[in-house]
Parts: sequence; C-alpha cells; structure tokens
Amino acid sequence: MYEPRIIGYLCTYCSYPGADLAGISRIKYPPNIDIIRVLCSGRVSPELILRTFREGADGVLVGGCHFGDCHFINGNHRTAKRIPILKKILEYAGIEPQRLRLEWISASEGERFAEVVEEFTETIRGLPPIREVLG
Amino acid sequence: MKRLEPLKKVVAEALGELDGVLALRNAWGGVAPHLFCREGELDGLALWPKYPLPRTLQLIQKAHPESRLGIVARGCEERGLIEMAKRNQIDLEGIRVIGLACTAEEARICPCPKPYPSILTHMVIGERIEPVADELVEEFLAKSSEERLEFWKRQFSKCIKCYACRTACPQCFCPECTLEDALWVEIGRIPPPFPSFHLVRAMHTVGKCVGCRECELSCPADIPLATLYALIRREVEEMFGYETGGDLEAQPPLVLPMELES
Repeated sequence: MYEPRIIGYLCTYCSYPGADLAGISRIKYPPNIDIIRVLCSGRVSPELILRTFREGADGVLVGGCHFGDCHFINGNHRTAKRIPILKKILEYAGIEPQRLRLEWISASEGERFAEVVEEFTETIRGLPPIREVLG
Repeated sequence: MKRLEPLKKVVAEALGELDGVLALRNAWGGVAPHLFCREGELDGLALWPKYPLPRTLQLIQKAHPESRLGIVARGCEERGLIEMAKRNQIDLEGIRVIGLACTAEEARICPCPKPYPSILTHMVIGERIEPVADELVEEFLAKSSEERLEFWKRQFSKCIKCYACRTACPQCFCPECTLEDALWVEIGRIPPPFPSFHLVRAMHTVGKCVGCRECELSCPADIPLATLYALIRREVEEMFGYETGGDLEAQPPLVLPMELES
C-alpha cells in the first residue's frame, strides 16, 4: 500500500491557526499532509492546484475562513465558486474530483481540522497514486 | 444564395450612415474579414465558411474609436461581442449589428446552441432555425472515468502547442497569458504535460466560452476542444445560472462575490 501525499493550502487567518490549534492541543492526525500557508484561500488559483497534482500530490486540500469571516471580506467567495467548477473539469478529464477538497476551518476548529485530514487521507488512500493517473 | 442578396442590400443601406461594415469577402479561394466602406465593394461579400469577426472589430475600434461601425454577426459572434463588451474589450455603443442567421446545414456542422443573433439586433437575414444539440457531448457523458482519462490523454498528446486555440478565441484577450508563463506551463515541452495547458485553458473559459468553436476549427491537431468547453458551459449554467453571451446585464459569475443567504 502506498502512502498518499496531500498538500494543504491553508489560509493564514483561519485554517492555518486551526491546524496550529490541532497541534498545540495534541490532536493526532495523519502525517500525510504537508501544509503550505497562503494569505487567503482566494489566492489558490486553479493553475496552482493543477500544478500541485502535476508535481505529484495525490490530494489537495484548500482551507479557508467561514463565510463572513474572511480577512479580505470576500476572498473565500472566489474560492467557493472556483473549486466546484475545477472539480467538474477534473471529472470531465477523468481525474477523480475527490482529490480536491475545499473546507472552511476557523482558527478555533482544531478538532475539525484533524477530522478533515483524517477523512481526506482515507479517501485519497482509496485512489491510485496520481503519478499512475497522470502518467 | 437566398441570404446573400438581402444582406448586400442591408449592408449597402447601412453604409449610408456608417463609416464601414465589417463582414467577410471572398479572397484567395477562401474568405477573409473585410471592412466594407463603399457600395461598389459589395460584390465580393461572402458568408461561408464562418470566420470570427469580433476580434477584428475590436482592432478597428481601438484604432478608430470615433468611427461608426457595423458588423455582420452570426449567433456565435453576437454572443462573443456580448462577453467582450462585459469585459470592456469592445464598446457596443457605436456598433450596429446586422444579424445573419445560420442555415440548418451550417448549424448542423457546428453544432450550434443558438444559430441566430437576437439580443444586439432585431434585424436578422435568413430564417431562424432551431438550436442543434451536440451529440459528442452526450456521447462523452456516457464514458466512464477511465475512458475519459484515456480519451483526453490521447487527444492532448496530439497538441503541438501552437496556441491557435487561444489566438482564435474571441474571449482570450489577456495581455499576459497564463499559458505562456513557465510557472504553469513548462516551456520547450511538446506535447504539454497533462493536465497543464489544456485544463488551465479550460478553467479560463469558465463564464467566457460562447461555443463559437473557433478553437476547435483552428486546431491543426483536431483536438475536440469544443466538446470539453461545451461540458463546462453546461456546468456554468447549472451552477451559477449563467448563460454566456445570453444577456448584456448578467455579470460573469467567477468575478462576483456570492450573494449571502440572509
């Protein structure tokens, strides 16, 4: 069995502190995720996500603030619209859309973050390695 | 030839009030865009094969912002003009649109979701015929995930990265193109590694693609790009209720914040 690699793009105002909270609360979650901090989930462009897959990530998690909490007021609205359509494009291209996941995780939701990573890792584990898919 | 004579007449009349009318003329065994300025030139007026005029109109308007221009536009060209106007690529204020309906045969070749203009003009030469469903889209939707992957990998492997799809597209007008950025699309590799280039471009057609098929027609490798973009267009309609080129007022969905539920 292979160990999937997941890249998590977490926004610096909500999801990243959320992940931090999971850490300082000693909540266990799979080590398969590598976290990259971004200023806003709206900064995660479709190109960036596609390149992340191309570089060998088996899954990509995008974490942003809940609606109304975005530091940039509506940066996460862009994300909320972009990700579903990108997932559809992946589906049409024959790449499993489950490899891309969008979650709203606040700075106080450490437990939620751990749950999401746990669940997402299991999902990705059930899929073939991305390198086999993209060839 | 039922449409040619009436069209000549309408263009000749329009020339009385306008500086020029952009349409097609017979040239070098094919057609080419031409700005008709005098009635005497109208003998060369041509209809088919279709050739995208909105971008040519944009160039002329940029060079001569004060000119009063007309354009002979089909359904797809009208949709293209609408999306271009929304993004400040063209000023529809001074433009007179002379509508041209496609024949049943032309609409079948494309196949076209709306083979006649109806928004920018009330005057349409030719008979308005029913939209034609794209059978390839239905065919594609029946494919499994593995078949889809196989299909696109094979199709995209033919790509010679000539950028014709982008160059022909009436909605591709960014001064700096992501597809030329080495950060997202490796330079010097043919075909471009799947899924870069093609899916990046697919994503960029969201809310913009009007289904004019110029990308596919210009592709020297015969990649069925229009099928992919048609699938995305359906999705955009379903997700955001946005019909590209269907309305002058509706704003493109990806640039707007979501309306929050109260």
